[in-house]
Amino acid sequence: MAVAAAIACRLLRLRAAGAGGHWRRLRGAGLPRGFLQPASAGEDAAQWRRVAHFTFQPDPEPLEYGQTQKMNLFQAVTSALDNSLAKDPTAVIFGEDVAFGGVFRCTVGLRDKYGKDRVFNTPLCEQGIVGFGIGIAVTGATAIAEIQFADYIFPAFDQIVNEAAKYRYRSGDLFNCGSLTIRAPWGCVGHGAVYHSQSPEAFFAHCPGIKVVVPRSPFQAKGLLLSCIEDKNPCIFFEPKILYRAAVEQVPVEPYNIPLSQAEVIQEGSDVTLVAWGTQVHVIREVASMAQEKLGVSCEVIDLRTIIPWDVDTVCKSAGLETENLKMLTLSSWERQSVIKTGRLLVSHEAPLTGGFASEISSTVQEECFLNLEAPISRVCGYDTPFPHVFEPFYIPDKWKCYDALRKMINY
Amino acid sequence: MQRHDVASVTNAPIVAPRAFSPRDTQKVGGVALAVWVVGGCGCPVLHSMKKMLAAAVSRVLGGGAQKPASRVLVASCNYSNDATFEIKKCDLHRLEEGPPVTAVLTREDGLQYYRMMQTVRRMELKADQLYKQKFIRGFCHLCDGQEACYVGLKAGANPSDHAITAYRAHGLCYAYGLSVQSILAELTGRRGGCAKGKGGSMHMYGRNFYGGNGIVGAQVPLGAGVALACKYKGSNEVCLTLYGDGAANQGQIFEAYNMAALWKLPCIFICENNRYGMGTAIERASASTDYYKRVNFIPGLRVDGMDVLCVREAAKFAADYCRSGKGPIVMELQTYRYHGHSMSDPGISYRTREEIQNIRSKSDPIMLLKDKMLNNKLSSIEELKEIDVGVRKEIDDAAQFATTDPEPPLEELGHHVYNNNLPFEVRGTNQWIKFKSIS
Repeated sequence: MAVAAAIACRLLRLRAAGAGGHWRRLRGAGLPRGFLQPASAGEDAAQWRRVAHFTFQPDPEPLEYGQTQKMNLFQAVTSALDNSLAKDPTAVIFGEDVAFGGVFRCTVGLRDKYGKDRVFNTPLCEQGIVGFGIGIAVTGATAIAEIQFADYIFPAFDQIVNEAAKYRYRSGDLFNCGSLTIRAPWGCVGHGAVYHSQSPEAFFAHCPGIKVVVPRSPFQAKGLLLSCIEDKNPCIFFEPKILYRAAVEQVPVEPYNIPLSQAEVIQEGSDVTLVAWGTQVHVIREVASMAQEKLGVSCEVIDLRTIIPWDVDTVCKSAGLETENLKMLTLSSWERQSVIKTGRLLVSHEAPLTGGFASEISSTVQEECFLNLEAPISRVCGYDTPFPHVFEPFYIPDKWKCYDALRKMINY
Repeated sequence: MQRHDVASVTNAPIVAPRAFSPRDTQKVGGVALAVWVVGGCGCPVLHSMKKMLAAAVSRVLGGGAQKPASRVLVASCNYSNDATFEIKKCDLHRLEEGPPVTAVLTREDGLQYYRMMQTVRRMELKADQLYKQKFIRGFCHLCDGQEACYVGLKAGANPSDHAITAYRAHGLCYAYGLSVQSILAELTGRRGGCAKGKGGSMHMYGRNFYGGNGIVGAQVPLGAGVALACKYKGSNEVCLTLYGDGAANQGQIFEAYNMAALWKLPCIFICENNRYGMGTAIERASASTDYYKRVNFIPGLRVDGMDVLCVREAAKFAADYCRSGKGPIVMELQTYRYHGHSMSDPGISYRTREEIQNIRSKSDPIMLLKDKMLNNKLSSIEELKEIDVGVRKEIDDAAQFATTDPEPPLEELGHHVYNNNLPFEVRGTNQWIKFKSIS
């Protein structure tokens, strides 16, 4: 029984490994030998752990914003913060260890450039950091707070939900903390375990008054972060930490904005709509190409970008024809005259299934487009357990699980 | 090669011959300590403890009998049984008197402390090595340099006292009785680990030891709660609640101080001040770096955390204070860590190598104890070297186990989420793959 489990483990791991090179190497070595090796065989153990569950796919170089430079995600964030501090004399950046550059190097060089009264460390107190940030924002200065890991945002949950989100509402628009932006590294990273891998966007989705944004790439990150900072509402900006170094792209040096509450259709298709955000977008992009190649299915891939308030319009138009009574019509450059009908929707995220944001998307889309759906909406998410330590490769919704769900949806 | 003193075996020798397992060593030492401390306990308990002691002693005799008698007798004359040391006076806050300024160290205790500290040191260095070889992944926070704190706390408190700490937990785990094997296996995520491989570095638990907690400062209210349970049950136990200098600025710690003082909970708040909260020096993080004076209404002690005797006496003093019903007490241990905050921190970007070297050469806890013992004829270089060799072997064996033990089976992914009588299925990913949750 244990042997069967071990073999099954190895099989799943091989499938989950993703990168073709690894798969081929084992094939060449003779698969049976691969099966019978103990799971903890030294070199091999180290090998498969290094393989990520996604491949970052950079977008083509943007030409409309001027000169671009090759940057990875943390450099794009630094660039955005640099632009903000330059443009807005009241902007301050604070958080744990931001002065020397931050644990992920997102604030490197800013203290030297702008001074220690604008980029400073706080003691170890998340509730204090956010509360303090709300205070700064209420007086009109721009506060950019950093929470070291999204997992540590919970001591500050009360401040965000009860103080920041409700300020404008409860004061009848007399006061607001709109110039507050909170940044936090987010999502699984391969070895984060329980307290360095969480994706808490669903907790904040339940709170009207704040905006939650998750970028998928350096170009998106810089534009979205600048929009968040300039937006007159408190925003939480989650940065996928696994992409900090892995995602490299050409990013404009000058500041530019990407509008919030607008999803982006990365790839157009006609059979299935796939929705995700952050790192998971790259996973579903790969799933889309797998589906095209193996099943001849044309997938539409949507990056949600803003979690709340989310772009109901784009997703519904994609998943269902003739959507009536759309509650949030946003004017966007992506509005199309011809509506794409797929009738099938798959939403994927790393956070646990129950109460994850996919449930909100699923329930809204079925409300709006019930008669146009060809199959039940599929959600491929993490399990309803705490984020595991050794079991991470099995926990995350990798491309094989998404592909499997897609196939079952096609054959419904 | 010197052998331990078989003639005075009634004092429960601690140095382990090859036949003696390290766990037995601790058990014998622990039992001896317990017998000495718990003296006034009910007869049946004492009797059973004496039986355990006798059993352990007979095992030693059995093991030692193979050695030639002449060599053994030669050894017995060379060591003194105990020595008295002057220890640094603790700074006091709202206390008239503090722990004593002299401490008696017996030979057995000295050897035990040495062995324990050396084991913690070697274990941390082995964990460093395994991390660099990628057997351990994730986050690994090492505590070498702080060994005296853990060994001293354990020595000063009762065996039945409770403890809870943050993520720099391996040393305290070992002091609280977890074997090196189970610690290293937990680090590598194998089923032989103390949390069955599901916790990792930051989540290790044992008897009366509540972990191993990832969120900074969150364990302090928990510790106060454990103290409340001790008081409520009337079990005369205290709870050692450890946190760091970085955590000392968390709001929930002050909430815990208030509750503990209000309800006079037997909670010892112990701040391990190793001068840096991750990369931030205490002067830059705290408005007041006198962590023992943080609370106006709770008395405090500042203790030299590099001297195991200092820590032991202070722990005894603090535990007695709490046990007498006077309420909580704060203890600040001034200590130092040689490694960086975690394995991804080289540890030299915010402090100089000279500083680390300075501490290593002047106040290394193992070196201090060794000098004390050698200068007062409590032991000899050869004997201590023998302990080193034994420790090294133990660690190597444990590492071997930790790298070859299988990982927990996949079915366990869903286990222990809730406590439920009937197993239920954990949803996720898609409707077709579910894991059973059993607990």
